[in-house]
Amino acid sequence: MHRITRYLRLYFLIEAQYIKARMQYRADFIISSIGMFFSSLATLGIFWILFGSITELAGWNFMEMVFIYAFYMIAISPMQIIFDHFWQLRYHVTEGTFLKYYFRPLNMMFYYISEMFDLKGLTQLAAGIVLLVYASIQLNIQWTIARVMLLLASLFSASLVQIAVVVSASCAAFWVMNSWPVLSLAWKLREFSPYPMSIFDGAFRVLFTYVIPIGFVAFYPSQIFLRPEQVSPLAYASPLVGIGLFALAYRIWTLGVNSYTGTGS
Amino acid sequence: MSLIQIKDLNKHFNVLNRREGLGGAFLDLFSGDYNIVRAVDGVSFDIEAGEMIGYIGPNGAGKSTTIKMMTGILKPSSGAILVNGFPPHANRIRQAQIMGVVFGQRTQLWWDLPVIESFKILKDIYRVDQKTFDDHMGLFNELVGLKQLYKQQVRTLSLGQRMLCDITASFLHNPQVVFLDEPTIGLDISVKAKMRTVIKELNQTRNTTIILTTHDLGDVEALCRRIIIIDKGKVLFDGDVKKVNALFGAYRTLKVQVNDFDESTLKALAGQMIQHFGTNNGISISEVEKHWTDITIDQARTPLADVLSFVMTNFPVHDVRIVEISMENVVQKVYDGALS
Repeated sequence: MHRITRYLRLYFLIEAQYIKARMQYRADFIISSIGMFFSSLATLGIFWILFGSITELAGWNFMEMVFIYAFYMIAISPMQIIFDHFWQLRYHVTEGTFLKYYFRPLNMMFYYISEMFDLKGLTQLAAGIVLLVYASIQLNIQWTIARVMLLLASLFSASLVQIAVVVSASCAAFWVMNSWPVLSLAWKLREFSPYPMSIFDGAFRVLFTYVIPIGFVAFYPSQIFLRPEQVSPLAYASPLVGIGLFALAYRIWTLGVNSYTGTGS
Repeated sequence: MSLIQIKDLNKHFNVLNRREGLGGAFLDLFSGDYNIVRAVDGVSFDIEAGEMIGYIGPNGAGKSTTIKMMTGILKPSSGAILVNGFPPHANRIRQAQIMGVVFGQRTQLWWDLPVIESFKILKDIYRVDQKTFDDHMGLFNELVGLKQLYKQQVRTLSLGQRMLCDITASFLHNPQVVFLDEPTIGLDISVKAKMRTVIKELNQTRNTTIILTTHDLGDVEALCRRIIIIDKGKVLFDGDVKKVNALFGAYRTLKVQVNDFDESTLKALAGQMIQHFGTNNGISISEVEKHWTDITIDQARTPLADVLSFVMTNFPVHDVRIVEISMENVVQKVYDGALS
């Protein structure tokens, strides 16, 4: 417990400084936030066009899709905001700058992620929350305290799934000279996650459910709130999936860190 | 008990024997043809608390690999390594608290933050109390005028300023041992001198053990009493720096460019040197490069400054350079048996 409060304190200390430094580049912050906002909305635009010609996608209507998408936006935000530094792991590994993360008396993953905090991701998080509230009003979803708690737990584990996928993919850099293909696969797969898994054909559905389970980033956990009466048992497995995957990703990271030899100096 | 104990330390890497060309690269995918590279090959030494060690050797000698094992980044292939009684690799977090590291020119400070904020974060990471922190920062302000850099972002510092900040940072938590890897590389002479003063001061006042890897033999000469020379993964020499000094410390080459140079200049120079400094003066003169006269001086016999002032007053000197003996030369001399 003491350790957690110490790390939280350190995290806020470092991030407060980091944000202060970033804020000096105000134009950069504003422009990238606007960009983030519109790129988030772009997928909604696709839905809107799609539902101009159809009324249901694999049995899901437009507003339900909006709900799933809002869930997705919130679930990917912690990856975007807190774990953003992982996208750059391959540079640190190939250029030898990764060595410095070994020298502090801190958990290495903590020290590594603490060096970056993606402010523009906050725009995405805010947009996701607004959209989720809007969609649940439109869908007339009844919220009880228990269901709100369940929603928070589901979002937490869904975000762990997203984090685990990117962390594992980034760690390829420890063993592969050019790990970009692996990382870009993780990036592209992300775009499949706000869709009902039932629209994918057999092999892909199995892939997205059991192998690289991006179905758990939004679709499966959303079902609990959208159609509690016909939820597949998979939806309730999602907290386990999140925690299990993150543990696996952390293990891969540890193996990578221990096998890293650095570059010559 | 010694602070650092290393016994029969080995680190071997398996390196694939690569074939040439695109077809070769494809075949390599299925190849099991590995070469074992013995980066560190049976190294043993002990280091006592408070020592300042010059750990030197040519590129690829195994210096970095040893340091990486001492700092806990790499796990030894075999052999024992104990720092403060613990194997570093198995106790990384605990060991990090008692170590300071400056690794070449890669800063460990926060690139976007003002210098002072970096130090404040480090204060929290290492749980340094306010008084120790203030004393430490005060000392560095006194030694190198650090205060004027406090508000600057790390990214805007010059290389010399950044290295000073990195060194300050590495000593902040009063570590028992500090690893300095090429701390003076790329720095101009005045900053280099400052850096040496600071390192010496800290070693003496705090009894901090310092392990210095460098290409600059001047650093070793100015700072260390003991030197460990390593080449091809093996310790070539471990002992008093004075012994090695005879190989590099005492010799300097003074390169002078004289106006209206010709054959007679060289002769005149040699003649007047003998007249002035005697026959056993340890000076040899040759023309290696066009228009440059090389005067190699054994400082044990004749001080360089005397020779320099003599040449400057008696000849129309156009340009002067002072060159130290290179690391490769030293290692070669050791192989040739100069120390045995």
